[in-house]
Amino acid sequence: MDREYTIVGTRMTRTDSLAKVTGSASFTADLKLPRMLCAKVLRSPHPHAKILNIDTSRALRLPGVKAVVTAADAHGVKWGVFKYTQDHPMIAVDRVRYVGEDVAGVAAADEETALEALDLIQVDYEPLPAVFNPEDAMKKDAPLIHEEYANNINVHVHIEVGEVDEAFGQAHLVREDTFHAAGEAYSTLEPYATVASYANGYLDLWMPNAAPHVRAKALSNLLKMPLNKVRVRRINVGGHFGSRSEVSPGDLVTSLLSMKAGCPVKLVLTREENAACTRQVHDIQATIKTGVKKDGTITAKEFRVVYDGGAYSSTGPIAASIPYYVYEEAYRFPNVRYNGYRVITNKGIRGMYGAHGRAFLCGNEMQLDMIARELGMDPMEIRLKNGLKVGEETATKSVIISGGLEEPIRRAAEQANWTEKRAGLTEGEGIGMGCVAVMCGFPMGFRSGSACYVKLNDDGQATIVTGICDTGMGNESMAIQIASEVLGIPVEDISLVNADTVVTNLDPGAYSQAASFVGGNAVKRACEDAKRQILGFAATKMNHPAEDLDIRDRTIISKTDPSKSMPMRWIVREAFFQGKPIAATGAYMPKVDFQREWIKKPYGQMAGTFSFGCSVAEVTVDKETGQIRIPHFVAAHDCGNPINTMAVEGQIEGSVQQAGVAVLTEETRWTEGLLLNPDLLEYKVPLACDMPEIEPLIVCSNDPEGPFGAKEGGLTTRMNAYSAVVCAAHNALGVPLNEFPLTPDRVLKALDAAKGGDKS
Amino acid sequence: MITSKFEFRSPKDVEEAVRLYREFQGEAVYLSGGTDLVPRMKLGLEKPKAVIDLKRIVPLTTVEDQGDWIRIGPLARIFDLKQNDLVGDYFPALEASLEATSCESLQMRGTIGGNLLQNSRCLFYNQSEFWRRSKGFCLKMGGESCNAVPGAKTCFANYCSDNAPALCTLSAEIELSGPDEVRRLNLEELYTNKADKPFDLQPGEILTAIFVPKKKSIGGYEKLRVRGAIDYPLLSAAFSFVDGTGKLAIGAVGPKPYVVEMKQPSHDAIGEAVEVVLKQVRPVGNTVLDPDYRKRMIPVLAGRLINKVMEGAK
Repeated sequence: MDREYTIVGTRMTRTDSLAKVTGSASFTADLKLPRMLCAKVLRSPHPHAKILNIDTSRALRLPGVKAVVTAADAHGVKWGVFKYTQDHPMIAVDRVRYVGEDVAGVAAADEETALEALDLIQVDYEPLPAVFNPEDAMKKDAPLIHEEYANNINVHVHIEVGEVDEAFGQAHLVREDTFHAAGEAYSTLEPYATVASYANGYLDLWMPNAAPHVRAKALSNLLKMPLNKVRVRRINVGGHFGSRSEVSPGDLVTSLLSMKAGCPVKLVLTREENAACTRQVHDIQATIKTGVKKDGTITAKEFRVVYDGGAYSSTGPIAASIPYYVYEEAYRFPNVRYNGYRVITNKGIRGMYGAHGRAFLCGNEMQLDMIARELGMDPMEIRLKNGLKVGEETATKSVIISGGLEEPIRRAAEQANWTEKRAGLTEGEGIGMGCVAVMCGFPMGFRSGSACYVKLNDDGQATIVTGICDTGMGNESMAIQIASEVLGIPVEDISLVNADTVVTNLDPGAYSQAASFVGGNAVKRACEDAKRQILGFAATKMNHPAEDLDIRDRTIISKTDPSKSMPMRWIVREAFFQGKPIAATGAYMPKVDFQREWIKKPYGQMAGTFSFGCSVAEVTVDKETGQIRIPHFVAAHDCGNPINTMAVEGQIEGSVQQAGVAVLTEETRWTEGLLLNPDLLEYKVPLACDMPEIEPLIVCSNDPEGPFGAKEGGLTTRMNAYSAVVCAAHNALGVPLNEFPLTPDRVLKALDAAKGGDKS
Repeated sequence: MITSKFEFRSPKDVEEAVRLYREFQGEAVYLSGGTDLVPRMKLGLEKPKAVIDLKRIVPLTTVEDQGDWIRIGPLARIFDLKQNDLVGDYFPALEASLEATSCESLQMRGTIGGNLLQNSRCLFYNQSEFWRRSKGFCLKMGGESCNAVPGAKTCFANYCSDNAPALCTLSAEIELSGPDEVRRLNLEELYTNKADKPFDLQPGEILTAIFVPKKKSIGGYEKLRVRGAIDYPLLSAAFSFVDGTGKLAIGAVGPKPYVVEMKQPSHDAIGEAVEVVLKQVRPVGNTVLDPDYRKRMIPVLAGRLINKVMEGAK
C-alpha cells in the first residue's frame, strides 16, 4: 500500500504498552482510596436450593465489620440484557440456582475479618433437585429453575428463510452431523474486581468493564438511582474476551456495601470465584444439516443448536444467535432454518465469548470438508464457491459493503502453499481451513453510536474525550492514532480522556467489534471538525484559501506553496483571542436496521460492515497417542485497513492462542454444578511452548464507511482458528471429529468409533 | 486466598528443626521450595500452627560425590540439579525428569525433596475449602467415601512426582531423620500404596538425603500432559539401564511409582513388564484426561521410551 497516511497504518508502539510491560499500570485491584474497606461475598454452596432464612446478626457484631448486605438491601430489580430476560436478582432473594451465587456481602476493615464474618452469617437452605445439562433440563419432569421458562428454555431463536424442506428435497447431497463442545473459561489475567465509593448521594465505580455507559445504566436501574449519580470511571482492564460486557453481581454487592458503610469498598474475586461466579462460556451442541448441488453450491441449511445457559439469562438471545450469524455472514445459502435454544441449568452464569460457537462453527466447516471430499472437491474451492462477495446479502438481509471471503482465502492459501502442501501430505499430517465473517457493531438502539469531543489547548496540543473503552486490545492507542492523523500533530501531543460516564459521551463499548468502526469514526469526525475550524482561522491569518491548507507536524502548510507555513499553536491562540476556542464534536451512528430484534425480527441490516477472515492450520497427529501438534498457522484477517499494523498482528496472534491452540486443550469440567477446574493449573490455557509458528496476514478491503477504511482488529481469527485446526485434524485422520476440545483421548475415541463404522 | 495464621521458623540445622516440630506438638509442617505446600495451605488443605523452613540448613542443599554413591541434598533446586554434571553424566533418566518438571521458573523454586514428598493429587481434593464443603469431604479429607468414585472406600489420588519414578529406576535410597532415629531405606519403601496417606513417614521425620548409586546408566523419562510445560504428569514413565539390568517405573496413575525390573529390554520383556504394571493400576476420572486413555497409554509411553533409550545406546 502507498503511504497515504502519516501515522495510520504504521507499526506504532501502543500508547499503553510501556506502563503495562513495566507493571506501572494500575488495575481495579490496585486502587487504594482513603478509608477503603475490604469486601467478601457469601456464596451458595448448593446448585439449587430455597433460602429459608438469613441471619447476619452475628457477623454484624464482629469487630471490624462495617456493613453486611443481602437481597433485603437491594431493590428487587432483576438484571437481563432485554426486558424479556430480566431474571437475575444479582443477590439471591429466596432461591439460589448455582454454586457460587451471591447470597450476602460483607465490608470489613481487612480481608481476614471479612472472611471471618462470612462464617458468622447463618443461611438456612432447603436443597432442591438440580439439573446440570440442557437435554435433561428440557425434559418434562425436570426441575423448573425459573417459573417463567417452560421446560427451562430461556430463549428460542428461530430463523427461517426460503423453502428449506423443498431445497433439501432437491439437493444432490445432504449430510447431517452433530457436534458438541465443552464450555470454556475466559481466563482473563485480571481477576474480577470492583471498587465502589459512595458519598453525598453520588456513587463512583471502577471495575473491568467493556462499556462504561452501558454498565452505569444497568447499575442505575439495579440501584434505583438516577443515572447521573452513578459514575463508572476509566481504569485499565486486564482482558475481556466477552466476560466484562455485562454488569456483574459483584458490582451490585460492592455498591450496596459502600452505600451502607459510607466508605469506599473494594471487592477482588479470587481466581476460583472469577471462574465459578462470573460469566463463562456456554457448552454447545449443534446438529447441522447441509444440502448441496453437485457442483458444491450450498442450497439449504438446517440447524438445531442447544446452548447450556447456566442459571440466568445474561445475553440470552445474543449468545444463542451469534454463532449462526458469523456463519451466515461468511457464506451464501438461500434456504435456512435455525433453531437455537438457550437452556437454563444449575450451573454458573454464562455469557458471550470472543470465540463463541466452537461446536457450531467448526462443525459447519468440517462438514463442508466432508461434503467436498464426497464431491471430489478441494476444501478451498467449495469455500470460494459459497463465500459471500461485496454487494451480496446474507440470508437474513445484511448487505456486505466491503471485503468478502475470496481475498482472505486466496491470501491465506497462497501463504500456506495450500495446494502443494495438500498434495504432499504424509501419514499423520493434515492441513485445514476455517473461514468466518464478523459484524462490526450491532443494533443497540440509541447506544449503537459513539460521540467524541475535541478541544485544542493553548500550546497546540489536543484533548480528545470519547466513551471508547480499552479492555486490553489497544483501543485507546487506536483513538489517539486516529486523532494524530487527522490533526497533524504527533501522538505525544494528544491527551485522551475516555470511558468515564460523567465526562464522556455515549459509546457502544468494546464489544460487537464496534470500537474502531464506530468509536474510531466519531473520533475522526470530531477531529475533522476541529481541523476545519483551525484551517478556517489559518486561512484568514495566512491570507490563503483554506482548501489549499493542511496540518503536518504541528504546522499549517500550503499544499501547493512550500514557502507558506505557520505553527499551528499560533492559530489555536488566535482562536482563543477571538473568543472562539477550537472545540469540536463528532459522532457516528452505524447504518443498521434498528427494527431488527434478536427473536421477534431477526432480519435486516445487522451491522455497519463485516470483517472477513480465513485461517489455515497445519497439524501432525500421532495416531497412537492421539496428540495433535500445530507446527504452522497462517491467519488472514480483513480488518479493512489497519490503524496500527502491529496491534492488529498482535490481536491475530493472541487469537490463534485463544482459539486455534485452545481447541486442543481448553474446557471447563464439572461435577454436579461444581467446576472441577476453577484454576489456571487444571484449566489448560495454552502456553508459549504450545504455540505454532504464526504468520499473520492483514487483508485491506478499505471499507467505505470505516475510519481510514478500518473495520475491526482480529476477531475473525478468534472465531475461525479452531475451525482451521479441527479441519486440519480431520484432514489428517479422515474420520469425523464430533467432540471438542480435541484432547488426545477424544481423538483416539473418534478413531476407534470410525473403525466400527462411519468412515468419512 | 489467604492461609490460616501460622508461626514461621527458620532452623539452622536438622536437630533444631526436629526440636521445633516437637515444640509445636506435631502441628507443624516442613517447608522446602513451597511449590506444593503453599498452594495446599492457601486451599486450606494444611492449617499448620507453624511452618518450619528448611532452606537455611546448608547441608540439605548440596550435591556430593561419595565414591560409590552420589548424595543429593533434598533441598537442591530442580533447576540447579538438572544442570549438575554428575546428574547429567550418570543419571540421564533423572536429568530428563528434572527437565520435565513444571516450568523453569518453578524449577528455580522447587526442590527435589519437595518433589518426592509432594502430596497425592485429585481434582476432587485439590480444591478450596468452599468447594470441598459444597461437595462434602472425601476420604482423603476425613470423609466417608471417595468423591471421584462415589461410594468407594479407597482413595484414588495420584502421586504426581516427576522425579520419583526416575530415582526408583536408579535404585535410589533415602535418609530420613526423625526425633528418635536416622534411618536409610530404598526410595520404593517410602510409599504406603495408600493414596490418602501416601508416605510411610514417622511424625517429625525429615528427608535429609537422597543417595543414588554412582553407576553410569542410560535412561530417559516421558510424561503425558496436555500442555508442554507446567502440568503435572497424567502418566509418566522412567527407564534406566544399569549394569545389564533395566528398570521401568510408571508414575501418576496411583499412589506410588510402579517399578518393574527386566533383564534385557526385549519386545517381550517390555510387554511383560507393562503387564505387571497394568495389573496393579486403576486410574479413575480424577484428572483431566479419560482414565481408560491414561491406562491405554502405559504400554505406548513405556515402549517408546525404552526403545528410544536402547536405540540411543547403539
